[in-house]
Amino acid sequence: MPSKNKSKLKRSILCWLALSPLVIVILLPFAVMLLTAIKPADEVLSYPPRWLPSRIAWENFFVMWEETQFGTALKNSIVISTLSTVLAVGISIPAAYAMARFRFAGQAGYRRFLLVTQMLSPILLVLGLFRLAAAIPYGDGNLVDTHIGVIATYTALNTAFAVWMLQSYFATIPHDMEEAAWLEGCSKPRAVLKVFLPLAMPAMVVTGIFTFINAWNEFAVIYTLIRSAENKTVTVQIVDLVAGRYTVNWHHVMAAALLATLPVAVLFSWLQKYLVKGLSLGAVK
Amino acid sequence: MSKRPLAPWLLILPSFALALFIVSYPFFNIVWQSVHEVSRFGQVRDFSGVANFATIFADPVFMTTLWRTLVWTVCVVGGTVLVAVPASLILVQDFYGRGLARTITMLPWSISLTMTAIIWRWAFNDEFGLINLGLQQLGIINQPLHWLADPALAFPLEIMIGILVSVPFTVTIFLGGLSSVPTDIYEAARMEGANAWQQFRKLTLPLLRPFINIAIVLNVIYVFNSFPIIWVMTQGGPDNGTHILVTYLYELAFRLGRPGEAAAVSLVMLLMLLAFTGLYMRMQRGEHAE
Repeated sequence: MPSKNKSKLKRSILCWLALSPLVIVILLPFAVMLLTAIKPADEVLSYPPRWLPSRIAWENFFVMWEETQFGTALKNSIVISTLSTVLAVGISIPAAYAMARFRFAGQAGYRRFLLVTQMLSPILLVLGLFRLAAAIPYGDGNLVDTHIGVIATYTALNTAFAVWMLQSYFATIPHDMEEAAWLEGCSKPRAVLKVFLPLAMPAMVVTGIFTFINAWNEFAVIYTLIRSAENKTVTVQIVDLVAGRYTVNWHHVMAAALLATLPVAVLFSWLQKYLVKGLSLGAVK
Repeated sequence: MSKRPLAPWLLILPSFALALFIVSYPFFNIVWQSVHEVSRFGQVRDFSGVANFATIFADPVFMTTLWRTLVWTVCVVGGTVLVAVPASLILVQDFYGRGLARTITMLPWSISLTMTAIIWRWAFNDEFGLINLGLQQLGIINQPLHWLADPALAFPLEIMIGILVSVPFTVTIFLGGLSSVPTDIYEAARMEGANAWQQFRKLTLPLLRPFINIAIVLNVIYVFNSFPIIWVMTQGGPDNGTHILVTYLYELAFRLGRPGEAAAVSLVMLLMLLAFTGLYMRMQRGEHAE
């Protein structure tokens, strides 16, 4: 059917044309980041500026890594994001299971509570969170400038999102498989463990990855709670390279930004179709 | 469905307990600080009643910031919906490269607002920024503009970036909504001679309505509370000209050493959010009753 193909081709051109302003504005910052990260230092701050570097300055990455203690920051980001993800998904699985499989008094109230925790965003609470961390004794001092305070906060604040996502997937897993296991003499908790959780695995992985990305990208809480350079995450470390400096090494900033964002962006792009399903179902229901 | 009432309570308990603790201690602490005199090092002194609230409402910076926050929220959320509706209508069409187009649309979501703001701040650099270079090459401007040095330029720019980073989440919700629309009703409409605009007005928009509503509510909450874009690009300056409430709150608390007033700002913001969601829920109930 050549005419049908031709009409699809025509439609494709029209669609891309209509989307092009949006696509350009979205891709522009990525282009700026990439072009600056690989520009030799003297070309970044030369006037008039040029779009393309004369050569690819790989040394930007190595020098940046040394000068900004990028390795430490990266390790901190990975530790904080991983632990808070495991904890958040861990406590959200039972809650989401209850929301998807039971009808109980207080269910609507719990749903409203989750919405309220989303409304009380970290930045509104940041002053109180700081006082909370300062009030809890730990080691020689308190939880200010420790990873524990940040991890607990991330875990709590990601719960609403994780429960929403998991619940909407759990609701799509047919109930009869568990019932069949009960009939075969399997106890209810065992049926959940042996039958339900394996089926729910993909949902848990996807939810976990998005929770990880949320934690990785968070700024306000960690910016407030963490003081010393050796405890900072990549995001805060990069902001420190820019904020309040008289001269900013933009090629280092962009090299660091590229390393901090590229893996997450790739992971996210690969998984974004699951978000469409999970969020829209969980949010509207 | 199980009849045992205890099991679901035990299942939600861990998440409920942790979230309640992490949210309620700071909340009550902020209430406490807001009605006390607090030193710049955070020592709570005498009870001061509504003095902190009186101070912020007499503060001209707070009042203009309050107003600017409303402009920020309305413009970013409104702009986001205006971009996201047509974008998602295109992204459900069957065309070559649709998967790629969807991935590109989602990209801003994957990087943190902080990184986005840093990149844009560099792109809009007066002397060395590629935006000024590009606009000069295209002949739109004659000399480099000082984008971030003037609130009249910087704030609209921040609104534009706010829209850009909110589009992916909103498109995601709309795509979920559009995928639940049965396709045969469009064929029926075409048979009856409805043109594309009529189909959009009479079929798509009503079906998309609940999804637009939820997107507006969630975006209002997120955008109203959005901190990194403005903090990283202009820190509320120059001359307090780009502050919104969250950035002003942060400055009061951690830069200017006025935690009592910052706590009062937090509570005012919270009341505004509660008023908004309350109003929204009333409106929803009204719609259901119709």
